Amino acid sequence: MSDTWRHELETIRNEAMASLANTSDSKALNDWRIEVLGKKSALSQMSKAMGSLAPEDRRALGEALNRVRQELEQAWRSRQAEMEAKEKALRLERERIDVTLPGREVPLGAMHPISRVIEEIEDIFMSLGFSVVEGPEVETDHYNFELLNIPKDHPARDMQDTFYLTEEWLLRTHTSPMQVRTMERMRGRTPIRVIVPGRVYRRDEDDATHSHQFTQIEGLVVDEGIRMSDLKGTLEAFAKALFGPSQRVRLRPSYFPFTEPSCEVDLVCVSCGGAGCRTCKGTGWIEILGAGMVHPRVLDMSGYDSARYTGFAFGLGAERIAMLRYGISDIRMLYQNDLRFLRQFRHA
Amino acid sequence: MRASYKWLAEYLDLAGLSPADLADRLTSAGLAVDAVDPLNRGVEGVVIGKVLDVRPHPQADRLKVCQVDVGGRQLEIVCGAPNVAPGLVVPVALPGAKLPGGVEIRIAEFRGVSSHGMLCSADELGLETRYLPKRDAEGLFVLPADLPLGADVVPHLHLDDVVFDLDLTPNRSDCLSIRGLVHELSAILRRPHRFPASVAAPEADGESPLQVRLETPRCPRYEAQLLDGAEIRETPLWMKMRLLAMGVRSIDLVVDVTNYVMLEWGQPLHAFDADAIAQGTIVVRQAREGERLVTLDGQERALTPDMMVIADPEKAIGLAGVMGGENSEIGPSTRRIALESARFDGASIRRTGQALSLRSEAQQRFEKGVDPAAVSSALHRATELLVQLAGSRPVGAPRRVPPQADVSKPTVISFSPHACARFLGVDVPEGEMRACFEALGFGVEHGEGAWRVEVPTRRPDIQAPADLYEEVARLYGYHHIPATSMRLPVEAPESSGHLMIVRKVRRALVDWGLCEVRTYALTSPEAEAPIAPSGVPVALLRPMSDDRRVLRRHLLPSLAEVARHNLAHQVPGGAIFEVGKMFLASSWPQQALPEEQQVLGMLWFGETEGNPFERPRPYDFYDAKGVCDALLARLGIRAAYQASQHVYLHPGRQASIEVNGAPVGFLGELHPDVGEAYDVKRAVYAQFDLDRLFSLASSDVRVRPIPRHPASRRDLAVVVPSELESQALIDSAWRTLGDGGDLRLVRVFDVYTGVGVPEGHKSLAVALWFQSDERTLTDAEIDQAVVAVLRAWEEAFGAKLRA
Ligand SMILES: [Zn+2]
Repeated sequence: MSDTWRHELETIRNEAMASLANTSDSKALNDWRIEVLGKKSALSQMSKAMGSLAPEDRRALGEALNRVRQELEQAWRSRQAEMEAKEKALRLERERIDVTLPGREVPLGAMHPISRVIEEIEDIFMSLGFSVVEGPEVETDHYNFELLNIPKDHPARDMQDTFYLTEEWLLRTHTSPMQVRTMERMRGRTPIRVIVPGRVYRRDEDDATHSHQFTQIEGLVVDEGIRMSDLKGTLEAFAKALFGPSQRVRLRPSYFPFTEPSCEVDLVCVSCGGAGCRTCKGTGWIEILGAGMVHPRVLDMSGYDSARYTGFAFGLGAERIAMLRYGISDIRMLYQNDLRFLRQFRHA
Repeated sequence: MRASYKWLAEYLDLAGLSPADLADRLTSAGLAVDAVDPLNRGVEGVVIGKVLDVRPHPQADRLKVCQVDVGGRQLEIVCGAPNVAPGLVVPVALPGAKLPGGVEIRIAEFRGVSSHGMLCSADELGLETRYLPKRDAEGLFVLPADLPLGADVVPHLHLDDVVFDLDLTPNRSDCLSIRGLVHELSAILRRPHRFPASVAAPEADGESPLQVRLETPRCPRYEAQLLDGAEIRETPLWMKMRLLAMGVRSIDLVVDVTNYVMLEWGQPLHAFDADAIAQGTIVVRQAREGERLVTLDGQERALTPDMMVIADPEKAIGLAGVMGGENSEIGPSTRRIALESARFDGASIRRTGQALSLRSEAQQRFEKGVDPAAVSSALHRATELLVQLAGSRPVGAPRRVPPQADVSKPTVISFSPHACARFLGVDVPEGEMRACFEALGFGVEHGEGAWRVEVPTRRPDIQAPADLYEEVARLYGYHHIPATSMRLPVEAPESSGHLMIVRKVRRALVDWGLCEVRTYALTSPEAEAPIAPSGVPVALLRPMSDDRRVLRRHLLPSLAEVARHNLAHQVPGGAIFEVGKMFLASSWPQQALPEEQQVLGMLWFGETEGNPFERPRPYDFYDAKGVCDALLARLGIRAAYQASQHVYLHPGRQASIEVNGAPVGFLGELHPDVGEAYDVKRAVYAQFDLDRLFSLASSDVRVRPIPRHPASRRDLAVVVPSELESQALIDSAWRTLGDGGDLRLVRVFDVYTGVGVPEGHKSLAVALWFQSDERTLTDAEIDQAVVAVLRAWEEAFGAKLRA
């Protein structure tokens, strides 16, 4: 075999390897493959030209030629893999996005703070075995006053200035008529355990602490043997559930025509924990609701013999709880419905 | 009700109790003390002085230079008060003195004359001059001539007193008097009191010259005393100051005595000029139709037969229990006085006061009930004071009608200590209960198990055992009541299905980006006018403002107002909802209560906020419809949309939402005129009837197997007339192939107009899904079905496959 051939093969190989190292992209690599391994390549030319050689030489050169071809093919493949990996990395790099842009928005609405408070309170009392019922907002004088032991021309009517629609019909001033309606519906069955959330109306000028429309939650329990201490126990359980386990309640004597004895119920001030602050006027307590033992006359008028049954009732203002809970200083905020205010209640 | 600490202390040993302590004790017993205010609001270093000499100021016309004796020394003081005169005894603020409002007095020069102090008016001393007679309130406060010169004014003006401001509950009318408060404090503090049980009639000769006739059952008792002569008409300083402490204006001695005794005994009194009473005869009767009376305030009042008057045989001379008449008013020339002490029906007094917008102290006491046992004593006490202070002489004995002494009996209540302890849930010792009652002045008689408790007429609020339980509880202390658990059966609460639907709806809407609002139910017909709701508004009898005088008939105006407010406050838009009531009546007033319909109202207004993926855009019909669709799906309700005709909605952009042909709600873009009227431009409203949703909603799920055979989808783009509703194509496809066959779903997924679609037409892209539970469908089968659908569409709507 001719040394010339061998030398030329060596040169082809070396040059091809060198130019392979210089290919910078897949097009150059492809061009290289056609030039080095294609039909018109030097290697192919050499294969064709081999026919003129002696058989031994032809065989020896053929083997050498094959070895070089395989070597170059191998080099091409690995160069190709290397280049693909690099190009992929580059491509992915080009696909980089701004991860700090906001996500595609899932709109979040908000429950009104009063609804939040009502649902929370309903849940607490339902877990204590109470049912939730609702009643009419337009009431009769009979249910709103007379059956609650507030006769016509009685000074106690001054406690609730009333919107009348006719002589007999009015906008309920409290949810208490539902005490009577519930007892009438239950027709003497016991125990009665209900709470009644609902809108009520009073002839008050709207200001930071008064609203002509507001929301009450009434509670009523009637059975044999219900004690005033049960009223305190129930309200204390409620206070702990709503404001935390360290809560306590304080009862102060008061007057409502439809309960006897009556009381105002205070909680440990939620702002200062009882130390005294502006919210609680330094007393460490905040008034949260009115309550009492159902007046015997109300029981009797509603078909429950007061000699046998006793009960308690309470009424709290959802606005007041919401204001304490969320730090709202003006009750009108709750009815203005400014979305900049309401959207603060987005988080559940 | 205001109460003077010093007046109370006259009848009760308050040693060791500061006014603040007393306020705490009263509050915790149920008599809430709102404020404890010293009468002295910062007077220090002010003494009593006598003006000796007054000369004009050489440089100033309106100033005077006075020589003032302040007890052993003489000061030169410049004064501008018009009433300054030699011989007057007045308060003198010495140099270094302090006055309310942080004023400090120094030696000062007024146009070249040094003033060594200041002569004071009542106002400068911080007195509430509205409670003083006019002459005391204006200019220098002229004091009695016999006060010691140089002495501190504070004790002499009785400023060393403290005023309690009590927020009394309406049941405790007994505490609208010193008498009642003394009894109450005696019970709270367990200290004996010295308030007299009664006052005897002053000695007088013979029968009363006055005659009294009761012609109405609303006056069960009337007593009158005639007095002759009232030489002294100046109220003594101590009484003026006591009235001031109690918040009652001093007027003249006779009137002041009646008020003083009312405050002391709780029994309102009235004084008439006896010479104005014709025939010396007092008649208590109902007013006559058309009768008129000028009351003490100078107002002419039109009376009605429901009102009770005090009259003589000729004319009305007063409104019983409310206000006297001008024609019998005590004046400077009054020689003879007729004092009245009576009981009047509370409800009647209350109605009269309300009808005439009057609210006198007397009226407030009558309407809450006065103690029958105090009627005579109060009359005797006032007589006694007029004799002492005014130099009057009683003429004859009091006239009493009916003549026999008051027969009101104390209330007797059967009381079981055991039942009381059980009711309160705390074992109050029996001895403690008895001590409470005795301290209250109630009689206690022990019986078998139950006691007989005798409640004096002073406490009309105590009528039944529960009232006694309260007395025990509040005096023993509410803090002694423990917190106990009820022993009640464990029961599932009554079904609150309706509540749960409301909650489900609220939660879903919030999750889908809507904000819940709560608005007022009271509105005005004007606010509702743009949408012209049906029916008539339910109106208030006495609204507080024109804006809130009827109950709303619709939720849209309320929500539009919220939108308007937000748009005006830099909120570019939003989606809101309310669960609220509409009040519906066919006429007003009507026979039945108005219907209260609970509805869900939703409003989309303004623009979306926009984000990197979507530009801000106005909310539109399909935003609303998407939520309506989702809500119905969440409640398990299948509904259909039909074009509707609400006048306040855009005629071409509204639909009613129907289930089985009956509407459950509707939605639509506001009519442009309505949007403009509410100042919200474009907005979309949707409303559901919650009762209907509640009756239709279902949360039942019955699982169907996942199909084993593949589904095939065919997309058809057809050109149809623009006005054709896409639902028509869907309905037609179902009609053609039936809903029990292999067609499983039909959906419109694109709408196109533009190049390639003729004018007046649109291209709708519809996807049809085919599937069988038994086998894989062949192309031929599906093609056949598609051809059938296309043929039906072409026949019905002229639909052509888009090239
Ligand atoms: Zn506090």
